[in-house]
Amino acid sequence: MRPPAPKPPPPPASSSSSYSRREPRPENPLLLLPSCRAAKLSLGCPLLDRLLSGGLPAASVTEIAGESATGKTQLCLQLALLAPQSPLSASSLFLHSDLPFPLHRLRRLAPKSCPNILDHVLVAAAHSPAELLSLLARAQRLLSDPGRSPHRLPIRLILLDSIASLFRADFDASPADLRRRSALFFKISAKLKELAYRHQCVVVVTNQVVDVVERDAGNTVAWSSGRRVSPALGIAWANCVNTRLFLTRELDGDGAGGSARRRMRVAFAPHLPEQSCEFVIRRDGVFGIEPPQR
Amino acid sequence: MVVMVLFAISAGPTGSSDLIFLLRTAPALPPRLLIRRPVSRRSSADRPRPASHRSSSAGSARSSGSCCSSSSAPPPPRRRRFLAGGSDAGRAVATRRVLDMGAGENNPLGAQNAWDMLSEEQSQKHITTGSGDLNGILGGGIHCKEVTEIGGVPGVGKTQLGIQLAINVQIPVEYGGLGGKAVYIDTEGSFMVERVYQIAEGCISDILEHFPHSHEKSSSGNKQLQPEHFLADIYYFRICSYAEQIAAINYLEKFLGEHKDVRIVIIDSVTFHFRQDFDDLALRTRVLSELSLKLMKIAKAYNLAVVLLNQVTTKFTEGSFQLTLALGDSWSHSCTNRVILYWNGTERYAYLDKSPSLPVASAPYAVTGKGVRDVSSNHKRVRVT
Repeated sequence: MRPPAPKPPPPPASSSSSYSRREPRPENPLLLLPSCRAAKLSLGCPLLDRLLSGGLPAASVTEIAGESATGKTQLCLQLALLAPQSPLSASSLFLHSDLPFPLHRLRRLAPKSCPNILDHVLVAAAHSPAELLSLLARAQRLLSDPGRSPHRLPIRLILLDSIASLFRADFDASPADLRRRSALFFKISAKLKELAYRHQCVVVVTNQVVDVVERDAGNTVAWSSGRRVSPALGIAWANCVNTRLFLTRELDGDGAGGSARRRMRVAFAPHLPEQSCEFVIRRDGVFGIEPPQR
Repeated sequence: MVVMVLFAISAGPTGSSDLIFLLRTAPALPPRLLIRRPVSRRSSADRPRPASHRSSSAGSARSSGSCCSSSSAPPPPRRRRFLAGGSDAGRAVATRRVLDMGAGENNPLGAQNAWDMLSEEQSQKHITTGSGDLNGILGGGIHCKEVTEIGGVPGVGKTQLGIQLAINVQIPVEYGGLGGKAVYIDTEGSFMVERVYQIAEGCISDILEHFPHSHEKSSSGNKQLQPEHFLADIYYFRICSYAEQIAAINYLEKFLGEHKDVRIVIIDSVTFHFRQDFDDLALRTRVLSELSLKLMKIAKAYNLAVVLLNQVTTKFTEGSFQLTLALGDSWSHSCTNRVILYWNGTERYAYLDKSPSLPVASAPYAVTGKGVRDVSSNHKRVRVT
């Protein structure tokens, strides 16, 4: 028998989307401290958890950015399967915009010991920002009224696979379109953050990268596969996320079929120092490895 | 010697207040040389009667529209506080009172003279930011009674600085701090409590390092230096939409009236909810300017520092994209001081962009496991996890 999961702290304000007419009430951070420490979604590997100081935090939006085939979707699937058995004890909502949903990979990753685990993964497709917003509105109703499906665990993990592919079409590079795009970023991010806060969810968003030509400084640029890349969607989207994890790949030697060293780096986070950790993608998931002793 | 103080204040529903102030020490002039206001529609009974009108010629200046009405009618009771010198307090007293601009019955403006303001300002404490270089360019730290805006790219340390200030304001008075509490309004969800705990621990360890004999003193009513106490003295508001943000700031006045020991209000970040699609941009500008006026009023009335954290955006000007602070040019007038945080290579720098009294300057700082500190001599950023 699994130990009973710790109850999530009750949402301080009313959990309905409309703002209640009561006065705002201040919270006491001291009282939030134990729940903040407890409500973290472990990645399933102690090294990666150490990088993230326990796991992915609740009530916060984490972005995982990386080139294609660096393990972003794999990590998301792994999180979706870990959530029901973690202390969070939650179902997950997987919103994907890249077609098709990797069902085979999910089946392969599912542990054989728990055949019903796929019951706890809800999948929905969104092909444009407007669709995503309507999906989030439906998710809000689902989250605030969980009594509909009593056999399923409450949803406390929301995964959005590839926010960048939502914005690939319909937007030119003209300033007006860029402004419109930025406004949508903030709308989506505000909605995700509200869901994260009111229901203490972990929100994970994946992002693609673009090549960087000019000399950019700071933490947005990294080297991956021999080129300078930066997460897509620019500085506007970077303002919308709380934590950014950057997955990079360094080609070893000639790189043709050779081992690629993969690295997960914390680009910025309010609670983490900037450090990185190597990891590998195996058949059963994404795991961190210790750097080889030279 | 006649001192005539004439003023008519009409605070109508439009909120406009025309004020004419005439102070003379001279023989009474014939009435036609006195300043007259244009006739307003209001009855003379509503208008406050002017102050001590000694000259008998004032009686002859009785015209219904003039602001210097006769001395015959007694002033209506509710306007009594606008009268200087009362009825017959003596002309010399009236002179002295008017020149001495203390606030009170004699001085309805509540004006302060500059000498008082200077001495007050010099005794004002600043809130240290944790980094000596940063304090240096800010003139000692964040000033109370002023609105400071801090902007920067994501990841440069705005939230870290905000949290550091929320902790540093609580440093007890005997260790050089303000000993006050903090209000933290979080719009983005970046307030991680475990990081606040870490920063509180770092602050306490620095205090104990600087004042090594403090723990030997018996703490008679002093705050115990525990991170839990520091956490408990932050009033944390989490808001999820712009309507909630406006409501929180409106509520803040009442809240601050009840909690007088709050010395800093931090809003992280003030722009997040206003960057969504507003159908009516004029509404957005109006709402934002009202917000900033309220914040300035709060800062002055309750003698606390207001710190607004802002984001950057790219602006398309002159054919190229430039980084500027969000919310546009009209918002840039809303703050008294502005600090911009930026990257220079792999170093973080702070640039004082706007200040009423200090020159523009920039200084490096670092974000360590203990919080915001000076850049240490070894450039390898060793972080304490």
